[in-house]
Amino acid sequence: MAKVVVDAMAMQRALTRITYEIIERNKGVDDLVILGIKTRGVYLARRIASRLQQLENVTVPVGDLDITPYRDDIEHDAQTEPEVTGANIDFSVEGKKVILVDDVLYTGRTIRAAMSAVMDLGRPKSINLAVLVDRGHRELPIRADFVGKNIPSSQRERIRVSVSEIDDRDAVEIQQA
Amino acid sequence: MAKRYLILEDGSAYAGEGFGAGATTSGEVITNLNLLGYQETITDQIYHNQIIIFAQPAIGNVGINHDSYESILPTAKGMVVRDVTNISTNRLSRLSLDEFLQQHNIPGISGIDTRHLIRKLRQGAGPMKGSIVDVADAHAFDQLNATVLTNRQVDQVATPKPYPNPDTGKNVVVIDFGLKHGILRQLSERRCNVTVLPWTASSQDVLNLDPDGVLLSTGPGSPLDLGTGVLDMIREVQAEIPLFAIGLGHELFALANGAELKALPVEYHGSSHPIRRIITNDIIYATQGQGYAVIAKSIDRDRLITTYVDLIDGTVQGLRHRDFPAFSVQFFADGAPGPHESRDLFDEFMEAMTAREG
Amino acid sequence: MPNLDDIQKVLIIGGGPTEIGHETELDSAMVQIITGFKKRGVRTLVIDNNPFSVALEEIQPTNMYVQAVTTANVRHILEKDQPDAVLPSLGGLLGIRIAQELVENGDIGRLGITLLGMPADTLRQINNPAALNASLKEIHEPVIEAKIVATTDEAMGLVESIGFPLIVKPVAPRVDTNRTICENVDDMLTALNQGFQQSRFDQCTLERSVVGYKEIEMVAVRDVADTAVLISGLEDMDPIGIHSGDSILVTPPQTLNDREYQDLRDATFRIATELNIVGVLHIHFALNPANQHFYVTKVAPYFSRGVALAARTTGYPVALVTGALLLGQRLVDVKLPSRFVKQTAIMEPTIDHISVRIPLWPFQEVPDADQHLDTVMKAVGSTVGIGRSVEEAILKSVRSSQFSPRDVLPSVSNLTDGEMIRQLIHPLANRILVLIEALRRGYSPEELSELTKIDNFYFVKLRHLLTIEKQIQDHPLDTATLQRARYFGFGDGMIARIWQTDTAAIRELSAKAAIQPTYKMIEPTAGEFLEDTSGYYSTFEYENESQPLGDRTALVLGRGGNQLGPNSAAEYFTTEMLKQLKRAGYHTILMNTNPNAVGIAPEFSDKQYVDPIQLGDVLNVIQLEHPDIVIVPGNRHYLTRELSKLPLNLHVLPPDQETGKPAPKSATIGVSLFINGQQKVAVGVMDMLAPGMNKSLAQVTAFRMPAELPKAKRANLVELAKQAASERQMTGMIQVLFAPKSADSAQLAVVGVRPTRLTEMAFLSKVTGVNWVRMLTRQHIGTLDETELANISVDLNSTRVALMNAVFPFRQLHVLNRPGTTDQEVGATIAFGSSEALSLANLSDTDELDQIINRTI
Repeated sequence: MAKVVVDAMAMQRALTRITYEIIERNKGVDDLVILGIKTRGVYLARRIASRLQQLENVTVPVGDLDITPYRDDIEHDAQTEPEVTGANIDFSVEGKKVILVDDVLYTGRTIRAAMSAVMDLGRPKSINLAVLVDRGHRELPIRADFVGKNIPSSQRERIRVSVSEIDDRDAVEIQQA
Repeated sequence: MAKRYLILEDGSAYAGEGFGAGATTSGEVITNLNLLGYQETITDQIYHNQIIIFAQPAIGNVGINHDSYESILPTAKGMVVRDVTNISTNRLSRLSLDEFLQQHNIPGISGIDTRHLIRKLRQGAGPMKGSIVDVADAHAFDQLNATVLTNRQVDQVATPKPYPNPDTGKNVVVIDFGLKHGILRQLSERRCNVTVLPWTASSQDVLNLDPDGVLLSTGPGSPLDLGTGVLDMIREVQAEIPLFAIGLGHELFALANGAELKALPVEYHGSSHPIRRIITNDIIYATQGQGYAVIAKSIDRDRLITTYVDLIDGTVQGLRHRDFPAFSVQFFADGAPGPHESRDLFDEFMEAMTAREG
Repeated sequence: MPNLDDIQKVLIIGGGPTEIGHETELDSAMVQIITGFKKRGVRTLVIDNNPFSVALEEIQPTNMYVQAVTTANVRHILEKDQPDAVLPSLGGLLGIRIAQELVENGDIGRLGITLLGMPADTLRQINNPAALNASLKEIHEPVIEAKIVATTDEAMGLVESIGFPLIVKPVAPRVDTNRTICENVDDMLTALNQGFQQSRFDQCTLERSVVGYKEIEMVAVRDVADTAVLISGLEDMDPIGIHSGDSILVTPPQTLNDREYQDLRDATFRIATELNIVGVLHIHFALNPANQHFYVTKVAPYFSRGVALAARTTGYPVALVTGALLLGQRLVDVKLPSRFVKQTAIMEPTIDHISVRIPLWPFQEVPDADQHLDTVMKAVGSTVGIGRSVEEAILKSVRSSQFSPRDVLPSVSNLTDGEMIRQLIHPLANRILVLIEALRRGYSPEELSELTKIDNFYFVKLRHLLTIEKQIQDHPLDTATLQRARYFGFGDGMIARIWQTDTAAIRELSAKAAIQPTYKMIEPTAGEFLEDTSGYYSTFEYENESQPLGDRTALVLGRGGNQLGPNSAAEYFTTEMLKQLKRAGYHTILMNTNPNAVGIAPEFSDKQYVDPIQLGDVLNVIQLEHPDIVIVPGNRHYLTRELSKLPLNLHVLPPDQETGKPAPKSATIGVSLFINGQQKVAVGVMDMLAPGMNKSLAQVTAFRMPAELPKAKRANLVELAKQAASERQMTGMIQVLFAPKSADSAQLAVVGVRPTRLTEMAFLSKVTGVNWVRMLTRQHIGTLDETELANISVDLNSTRVALMNAVFPFRQLHVLNRPGTTDQEVGATIAFGSSEALSLANLSDTDELDQIINRTI
């Protein structure tokens, strides 16, 4: 039985707050670029960018990072490192303030892979991490700068994020394995 | 019922029938365009010293209900309506509007062409004083013209002493400028442990309570009459703690952060204007009640972001600080009376407090 | 979401003939939507078979499918004409059902057709209460749990858990039925048997009864971007248990507090979002007055009577806005006409007047119907009263409901106490009069509220009216009393009756004391902006907002609420007449109280007065506007008589249907002529069919044109008809009636001459392609072009045969189906076909006739 822990309204608000926090933390939007981690992080990244556009009337570049499937709802070998398998970034990250966006922060391995990928592309001024959900159970010393919602979870539970662009609705659900 | 008159500063007089208290009162005449919610309106302290003309033609239909108070001791100066019904047996109520007004010494007058008055006042006849009187003679007009309305409205209606509204959740300090209960209800629904402080509280008084968040309440009158102490308090608090400001609170938040205000040619009280939430580009409706508005041009874009705007009159309806989780709305986010969609802002406030904890 | 920008061609599913459940409101909305589509360059196809449709006049014949509104016929058009999109919501529930069937059987998908207004899944849910309930439950909207049963045994198994009273409703009904309340097992079994037959799936639902709760309705519009505007809330004065269509309706709601109202507003928007409605949505709620809990009881994403009322009473142009939304425009971008100061569709309407709508029932015409008001709708029309107090609005609506031509309320004082109590509990059509009578006899508002479940507030208001009535009785000819009486909505006729004088005396007294009506604008901002909309109502206050329209004005008096008889046809006539007057350069003013009327939409006249069409009120408007022409409908004999005493340029249109001359017993052929002086234009020769055994003239309710006669015979009859008309010196649109000389004779003889009936005039216009209403109007106002008339040549021998057949409300009224009479018609259908298909032999009885006219082409 899945339980909705973040509904559509709350998800909208979380992204709104993250957007404002990005402005607060970065003293504006100069030099900002946003990279969404596939699949759902990409849509969240675009929504943050569109909010920034609405507020500041500035177009912030958005790119995608494709990481090997590394889902926390299937059995996986903790030793296997996720890899970046593609990037759709038509701008330079050199000297930029990069905001990485993902839906769920779990072990931290995906983010580590994403950071390596960004570093391969150039030398950004800074990298910050925004996630919709932080569910705990980190295996690496990584933490998010912007968190939509902390959902302390057991490792047996599954966290499912739906975004209306591809899932027909906005929601975060928690499922007992 | 006794024949009484509404007289206005421009020399006009309107005959009607008195209800409520038989007192002769004077106040600023304003119009309220809401479809429902007369009890919430008459008990809202923003109407301190004002005579309210209601667009809703039938008033009193559901009596007075225990859960529709916006304050327990209303301080409005009068109600002007087309038609009043004094019902006291309606399901939740034990009190008719007539009895309630008598108890609080507020006069009402019915049988007035309120639509005419609203059209007249909305067309820039301007802020105007009026009286509800027994006889509309020269003496009554002299009295009216001689009336000087106080500019110490907040002092008259805000709490002079701190008091708690305990619960088990977030620790919230509410600064009372003439608080409407809807704000407390929204905080209670979210289990906030509230302490209400007088508006004269210093930042030290606030910070001593170690709050998770601070809320600046609604209130009557002009924000320009409240001095600079309160602005200092706001600046000092917003840098430390998530802050949410509504109505008069919003106007003070704007002043504290360098923006300027203008008095509107005519006060607007209604809930039919679409308000654009800029960040998501969607529309909400909310009850608005304002005599002042932030001058858009005066906003220092390095300090404040405009977050909401009224699509009908173009007024700024919301602001947010660039550097801190501090935000404000001109409209009444508690939705009592009026549309509920702006109650979401209280969730935003809660989440801002949660986010600060990390 | 399909791209709505690409839509070039739309098929509108029409609502078919007027019936109990829908009147001209669908036609009214259709006209406005078609106009909107046209402006946006969208080609509109329409399928409808309503001969009284004004919308069908608005489109090219090539875009018009005059066919029965059936799934097969719609599919045929989709295949043949390949529109980009189909719009179901103008066909009411019928349109929704047809669209759903087309989705289900794959046609919509196969042909790549876009559904306008709602997605396929929503269509399915609207047709299946259980599915709808499931998705409402998902978004936490409280619904009454409905259990589906397919057998009576299953139902018996559920009885204990649900408990009585419970409600039985057919799943996916074939007709717009309603729920049946069952107090015991016997009731339930009867209802189930009927319900299984009505269901397309042979299933019924069982659910908890909320009888006695308040019924509140909400009307909203929503756009593709999920922005929504609440147009209006409506409060049924009667509790759940009486169909909302049979209940007195009050708007804005008067007995809700703000929180209850806003909770329902929230729920309305959530449901609109969940169902992804684009355009208009009308939701019914049951509100428990004891604890403020509510249930969603009906979701209607189509143009309904409630939507029409919301549009009329707020002045918000619902249909115009919906037209734009359907094509993907957003509410923020919809630009309203300049009569709205802000020209925006996104201000939520707020009003400063009160409207009361009273239903009109057909019990006088169908006396054998069960006259009790219950969950099955029986009203055929309604009339609205607008005022600045509840008292004024109630009285104006009652005075408009045509109890009396002289504007007095009938008395029900002859009821015994026992009978009165029975009627309080089991209300009849005179509901409002009985409520007043009970108060008159000293029952307290609280007692009556307990007995009827009507909110105490309304009894307090009705009792106040009695107090004023007493004052009038006690103070004859007192001006202060007159002022007060008029202020609270008493009509001149009512006051005159009490003071035992006449209307003229009351008016004289009013004039002396300067007690004059002030007209207030019906506009959606409650005075915030100085709008310039065209609807007004009267009250007696300080400021009058209505300025005379000026030179060359025509005042048209409407017929009021819809009733049985030629009313839909009269509505068609009035609307076409208004158009014609406008074209002839007149500023047109319409006075009407039917919220569903087509002609009352601001598109058709320059100004509308929503006031009782009673002598005093009419004279008030005349006094203000000084119209050059006053047009009074033919069914208002008293009004006509009184008005003709005054120096007015008075015309009686639509013409009187009762000529006063003795009518022949029967007729088999009718020849219609348009007569203008010496000019006599033959309009048509038709068979006059009286389905059933009895063939009296009153039972002639079907018409076939051209008549099944040899060509020469038709010509001969036309000549005979012209002669007969000359002898009688008639003018205008007339009909010469023929019947066999004797029972076994084929020889036809003239048996009578009468003005062409309104229904047949509409039929003749649709069939000949000449707008005869226009001609008749022109003749009256003296702008008829004789050359043009002379050039009209109607093909009296067309090979395309047209058939019109009246629709009767017998099935909905649960009386024996039978051949009806002309005064029992609720609407009509029209069909075209070959002379073989529509041969007289094929049209011999009612059932066959129905089948032919409703068949799939």
